[in-house]
Amino acid sequence: MIITIGRELGSGGREIGRRVAERLGYGFYDKELLLEAAKKSGLAPECFEKADERTERSIGTGLFGMRFPFLGDGASSIVPGFTNDTIFQIQSDTLRTIAESEQKGVVFVGRCADYVLRDMAGLLNVFVSADEADRVKRVVSYFSCNESVALDKIHKVDRQRASYYEYYTSKDWGEARGYHLCLNSSRFGVDGCIDMILRAVDECIAR
Amino acid sequence: MALPITLGKEPIPKLLKEYAVPAIIAMTASSLYNMVDSIFIGHGVGAMAISGLAVTFPFMNLASAFGSLVGVGASTLLSVKLGAKDYAGAQKIVGNVVMLNIIIGICFTAVSLLFLDPILYFFGASDNTIAYAREYMQIILLGNVVTHLYLGLNSVIRSSGHPRQAMAATIVTVVLNAILDPIFIFGFGWGIRGAAIATILAQVVSLVWVIRILCGKNEVVRLHRGIFRIDSKIALDSLSIGLAPFLMNVASCFIVILINKGLQTHGGDLAIGAFGIVNRVSFIFIMIVMGFNQGMQPIAGYNYGARQMSRMMEVFWLTVKCATVITTVGFLLCELFPRLIAGVFTSDEELLTYAIFGLRVTLVMYPLVGFQMVVSNFFQSIGLASRAIFLSLTRQLIFLIPMLLILPNFMGIVGVWVSMPAADAAAVIVAFVMLMRYKKKHVDPLIAAENNKDINQ
Repeated sequence: MIITIGRELGSGGREIGRRVAERLGYGFYDKELLLEAAKKSGLAPECFEKADERTERSIGTGLFGMRFPFLGDGASSIVPGFTNDTIFQIQSDTLRTIAESEQKGVVFVGRCADYVLRDMAGLLNVFVSADEADRVKRVVSYFSCNESVALDKIHKVDRQRASYYEYYTSKDWGEARGYHLCLNSSRFGVDGCIDMILRAVDECIAR
Repeated sequence: MALPITLGKEPIPKLLKEYAVPAIIAMTASSLYNMVDSIFIGHGVGAMAISGLAVTFPFMNLASAFGSLVGVGASTLLSVKLGAKDYAGAQKIVGNVVMLNIIIGICFTAVSLLFLDPILYFFGASDNTIAYAREYMQIILLGNVVTHLYLGLNSVIRSSGHPRQAMAATIVTVVLNAILDPIFIFGFGWGIRGAAIATILAQVVSLVWVIRILCGKNEVVRLHRGIFRIDSKIALDSLSIGLAPFLMNVASCFIVILINKGLQTHGGDLAIGAFGIVNRVSFIFIMIVMGFNQGMQPIAGYNYGARQMSRMMEVFWLTVKCATVITTVGFLLCELFPRLIAGVFTSDEELLTYAIFGLRVTLVMYPLVGFQMVVSNFFQSIGLASRAIFLSLTRQLIFLIPMLLILPNFMGIVGVWVSMPAADAAAVIVAFVMLMRYKKKHVDPLIAAENNKDINQ
């Protein structure tokens, strides 16, 4: 089984994923994926962290593919540059390799794993959200910041993840029909969510 | 597009050759294309026709602007989809590119044709040159959709696994244009209109060929019914990426208008024609440098990412050397044999005089311009896009506009010509300062660390 977990910041999605993996004895990849990708590509881990779940739809990428002033046509970009898209590409290749090599099963958190692995058998795509108050609480305790900072962070990261996801997948981030199972950790609690995912896994295997 | 780890291991000169040569060929081909047109128009139609052609340059910038509005964003999205092996998604993007190109192309053509004369006068035409400019533009505008589809789909086949066919299509277009030009201009006596027809016809042939390739059964990006519905999300995404290059091209359109106007006021129609010649000649060297830049980008980018700073600097300096050789050759040719070079385009004595002076002045800073362009691209390839944009704007906009507005008031036509190398010089200084500051702060310490590590091992 391959379980992918999309999550809102402060929803507890990462913890849920980690504990599901523990219970099933699966591999677990959140940020670990980035280190793996770095090792595989020979690039520094910072490159992956800088590009992580963020799009840089920078003016630059567009600008240098353009046809230059003082005339002309035909001079469109020929050799691909080295951009966040390249980083995403390497990361996705790594994701696929890991998914193929983990015999028993694996849990991925974020990084468009549901899209990257869409053709693989035994895929279960989960999205975890939570009510804002609970998210703020969790972010406050995780980053030890005050509430207004936490709220800003939540909004900013939501925006970043949504645009990252939408840019690479052309799907809407967090929209129910893009996933198999959508959970709200405020409603069911972290333990409740874990149980429901485990039941879903059983159900998938039974079929 | 898997990024080969060889970028971090193989010898730098070998890598640069491998990556730069195809880019250089394609770049040179497209500048030859424009050059051939000018040569046949100059000898077949006359000196005034060269000026008429130069008057249409801003139009070309504008057409490129609309082309890049769709094309740049779409090709970025396309390469992402192809990288993810999401072929259905890739086909949708291509379908959208085709539709957007057709819609925008038709609107552009319609508006431009409707107001063609006032636009051309605004671009610097006079009663002597307008007839040539009008005849030429009417055909080019009618073929506008073909041009954009051809350029767009050619880059699609390039990124979907047929780089050779893409290059062949480019070369076929250039060669066909070079064959048709003399037939239409000298053989049929169609004048400047013949050059335009040859251009469009050559593109039609290549477009048909490219479409045939894309209709093949086994194509990953296959054209077929059902992909041509406009998807508002894809359309908006690609338009938003394309906005910046669009604006840059619009800006460069205005620069050319400024130059044309300045030359028109202080020199007359033939001075504009001289700019047309200077532009064609200098462009070929610029394009070759851009080919080197494109080759450098992935190599510098990878080694920056792998924190192999000495390799990164090696490819940077090697590219600077190559670029400088190219621009210096351009400089020497234009300073030593300007009559020979301008003579390729025209035999009109007055136009020759203007063009010789223009070539000599405009290319004065060229031995250093190569360096400036490479620095700007270098910043781009290591992810410092804002610095890269700033640098490329300095040469073509930030320094050039004030010079063009001020200098001609005191120096007349000489001021227009001098503006260009003056802006070049200022831009070179800025590039040098920015590079050195970056190098001292971010590169040198890391290289020192690399060396220490080697010694300790």
